[in-house]
Amino acid sequence: MTYFFQLVVSGIVVGSIYALAAIGFVLIYKSSRVLNIAHGQIIAAGAYITYALTVWCQIPIYISFVLSMIVTFFLAMSVERIFLRRLIGEPIISVIMVTIGLMSIIDGLIYLTPFGSENFSFPAFLPTEPVVFAGIYISYTQIVGVIITFLLIGIFSWFFKKSTVGISMRAVSDDQMASMSIGISVPRVFGLAWACAGLTAAAAGGIIGNITGLNFETLHAFGIIVFPVVILGGLDSLPGAVAAGIIMGLIQQFASGYLDGNFGLNGTANLLPYIILLVILLFKPHGLFGTHEIERV
Amino acid sequence: MKSLKFTTCIMVAAAVLMMALPVSAVAGNVYKLGLSLAITGPTSDAGNPYAKGVEDYFRYVNDMKLLGDDTIECTIRDDKYETSITKRNFEEYLDMGIVFYLNYSTGSTLALKRDFDEVKMPTMPASFHAGNIEGSDYIFLPIASYSAQAIGLAEYLVRKHEGKTPKVAMFIHPSAFGRGPVEDIEKSIKAGLDIEIVEVVEHGQDLDNTAMLQRWKSKNVQYVISQTVQSPVAGMLKDASRLGLVAGKFGEKDKITFLGAHYTGGNDLIALAGDAAENFYWTTSYIVTSEPGAGADAQLALAKRYGRDDKAANSHNYANGVMVAQVAAEAIRRAKARGNEINKETLYQEMLEMNGMNAFYPVTTVGPVTYSKDDHQGVDTLQLYAVQDGEFRAVGKPFIPEYTEKIKK
Amino acid sequence: MSANRWFATGNYFTTYREEQRIFSTHLDRLVFCLFLTAFFVWPFFIDLSTKYMLVLDNILIAVIAVYGLNLVLGFGGLISVGHAAFVGVGAYTVASLAGVIGEQHMLITHGWPLMIIGAGLMGAIFGLIVGLPALRLRHLYLLMATLSFQMIFEWTIGFLNFFNQGQFIYVGRVHWLTGEVGRNEHYLFWYYVLLVTVVICGFGVRNLLRTRYGRSLVAVRDNDRAADAMGMHPGLAKVFAFGLAGFFAGIAGAMQAYLDRGAGFETFTLHESIQYLAMTIVGGMGQLTGCFFGPAAIEILDLQMEHLAEWAGHILPSALDLATGLRPLSFGLVIVLFLMFEPRGIANWWRILRTYLKLWPFRY
Repeated sequence: MTYFFQLVVSGIVVGSIYALAAIGFVLIYKSSRVLNIAHGQIIAAGAYITYALTVWCQIPIYISFVLSMIVTFFLAMSVERIFLRRLIGEPIISVIMVTIGLMSIIDGLIYLTPFGSENFSFPAFLPTEPVVFAGIYISYTQIVGVIITFLLIGIFSWFFKKSTVGISMRAVSDDQMASMSIGISVPRVFGLAWACAGLTAAAAGGIIGNITGLNFETLHAFGIIVFPVVILGGLDSLPGAVAAGIIMGLIQQFASGYLDGNFGLNGTANLLPYIILLVILLFKPHGLFGTHEIERV
Repeated sequence: MKSLKFTTCIMVAAAVLMMALPVSAVAGNVYKLGLSLAITGPTSDAGNPYAKGVEDYFRYVNDMKLLGDDTIECTIRDDKYETSITKRNFEEYLDMGIVFYLNYSTGSTLALKRDFDEVKMPTMPASFHAGNIEGSDYIFLPIASYSAQAIGLAEYLVRKHEGKTPKVAMFIHPSAFGRGPVEDIEKSIKAGLDIEIVEVVEHGQDLDNTAMLQRWKSKNVQYVISQTVQSPVAGMLKDASRLGLVAGKFGEKDKITFLGAHYTGGNDLIALAGDAAENFYWTTSYIVTSEPGAGADAQLALAKRYGRDDKAANSHNYANGVMVAQVAAEAIRRAKARGNEINKETLYQEMLEMNGMNAFYPVTTVGPVTYSKDDHQGVDTLQLYAVQDGEFRAVGKPFIPEYTEKIKK
Repeated sequence: MSANRWFATGNYFTTYREEQRIFSTHLDRLVFCLFLTAFFVWPFFIDLSTKYMLVLDNILIAVIAVYGLNLVLGFGGLISVGHAAFVGVGAYTVASLAGVIGEQHMLITHGWPLMIIGAGLMGAIFGLIVGLPALRLRHLYLLMATLSFQMIFEWTIGFLNFFNQGQFIYVGRVHWLTGEVGRNEHYLFWYYVLLVTVVICGFGVRNLLRTRYGRSLVAVRDNDRAADAMGMHPGLAKVFAFGLAGFFAGIAGAMQAYLDRGAGFETFTLHESIQYLAMTIVGGMGQLTGCFFGPAAIEILDLQMEHLAEWAGHILPSALDLATGLRPLSFGLVIVLFLMFEPRGIANWWRILRTYLKLWPFRY
């Protein structure tokens, strides 16, 4: 039974990191209806900026973590300004493909730095011995990761519910024309959405980097696993992203805990999210919490 | 008008002379070699220092005039780990008239195996997959195959283990590269190797390995042999050390001792896993710079000579690259000493005769490079290393796994 | 002037039949025939190095695959990020059969045209299955469906023993009238086979767009509600597009397997899918000519960047890292710049050039 609960705890930990990665994705989709394929690369960039600030500039990690979120905030904002601002009004399909191009561009830029082909790991800044509770192990890094995730999720939910900017972002996602007519600057909202996405991506990158170490391949793969998560949760729902992230984390942990090594199966944790993705697409395409207004063809 | 024409003629002649001079200054032959590998894309963390090693050693050969007036010209191309680009590079190298080819990944080596045989091109890949040399005459693995490495690790743990049959789990890459040794380990068990494989796990991109480690513990797994790249191993080690499962010394009871083959270890692992890498056991045929010796000095001096940073200089994949370059250069040197023309046939013959008293001893490995008609694995000797205080240290003497021979029948 | 089908300077169509012609003027047809002849004849006069022969073959294979992707993306308005997996289905149809019946079996070596068509059909079946969500969903969600197909494909190939767990499966050399095609003629032989296939498939696509299916596809892309009101079934049209895309991808895959003499899973990853997307964008979405320009442009860009990187490597010793970032960087920049400044792709330049030449020496 401890084994089962260990799986549950691990699943929730992994899942909340997925959720954090997915939030940035949902933020962009929510305001501009764009799927950001380059999200994994932004996550990697955030992780590398945190590392560079911590180790090369000798800034304490807590400060550099926040700093990197700010840097990525402006970085993502400028990406939107340079590449996507021009494409407002173009078909969504070409905007999505611009993000595919962006993926390669960021790849290239990262390969220009030592990060592209070398491995690094964060200096340990939390106690390394785990917290043990009734035979269940959990590390401080993971706890901090979960706390940061839920903190950010809380801030963003508040931001969207209460703040003027947040409300204007929701308005834009609802109806661009109408919000323009009442004086909301749509381009600014898009920029802000990207910036916020960058911020959460940096946070996710920092946490993942702390857990796995900094390897470019490992880091940018998180941009892909985000897809099943957001589809499961509903593309435009923040609570959906969180719930789906955790569900996906649990599913993966259970798969590797109970399926792998039995029945001659292996690596099912990598496969299942995509099978779920397909099933969801066929039967419940708006996901668990998404808006039901999918245009039927 | 006439003088103008004359001046033009002079100038043209001078230009032609200047173009021709540098060429005529090098009196010797130029031997062309080719290397295609992943400097970007997957596994570029290994490919990058590897490329630097190859490049530096050939520059060293040319600078020190180790081949007299002759020089080696090795073209290095990035293939982004894509077989189609490797193939394109190889065809171009053939057009260029290379005499020796250096390849990289398992996938492309298997895909181009037929081509190597058809054009009779001696080839050294950076992949030590045992399947590479099956049914091929022209592929030479630089060192013992992953299978041999895994068997070596298994034999070592059998020798060291106290008590009943040791229970072992294997942690492998979800590809041919990872699965290769599993079968050979199973064959060794049939041939009498006294271990029990409890589980073979193919990893994914896991953020948390707690479940897997807990399961192993509940099944009394005491050793884990990994055959993959550094990043997943680092993740596993971090989780294991968090759970307090890592054995303090080899084979500690109720703990797990982690072992791994060539590409799981090296400084990259320490860079990724940090303190969690402590007591990780790793086998390879290369020397490491953290263990003082002639090889380490030579490697560091070479890297320093060509201005490489510390990370590249201390990488075991830098040594890996230097070593294949050494073998290629040595084959050329020997063929030249015999007065043979340097081409792919003579180099192939030289490779086949690199055994017995003719064995080649590069300082970058822990044993001699031996090839023959039946033996296409270069350095058969393995050295076990373990991480102590953040550095790989040699454990025991170099050894040759026994079961690799026994399972051949 | 309108009656002159040699030097028509613009649209002078008076009937739909005229508009539907494959070649709108005789001049067009003449130019096309000249190009075609040139493509068939040049190998007799120019001795191209093996490398460039291989590059050429790869470009032609990509052209066939891009025909399919362009049907989905350009004519159907649906993003597919799993096209390489469809190509992989074709390649593995040939390779796994070769694995089962032996790579030197008559069917593989002599019946290769059959195998190629069979692989195309297999691709079409998978295309239809993956396209099924299109009955209910719009493009964003289809991107997800194709993505998951790509991932499931990669896992299946890498896991099942039947596919040799992603390791290379060999396919034997093919036979032609003159006997076995050896290493020396290999690339030239496949150049001709590919060229013929490209021409046949090209005409196929061109003709498809003249039929009701093709036009209904375009109608659905432009406005699916209007198309629905006109009595077309948008969902079926899209599924049909996916099926066709799978067919072309399957053919391309089978030829890839024959050209590479086997199949390994590295050739059919997500990265390749993105490469196909880039080819389609750069060539020009929804343009048949774009299918030729895109693959050529991307391959040439890649080669040029390789040269540039090498040159930079000589200028800046021991700065290999600087040179290696160039390739992904330039690849991404080309996609983005085209989308930002020339969303209609190279095919549009071709169109402008043609219009200019037709009117020359007058401006309009």
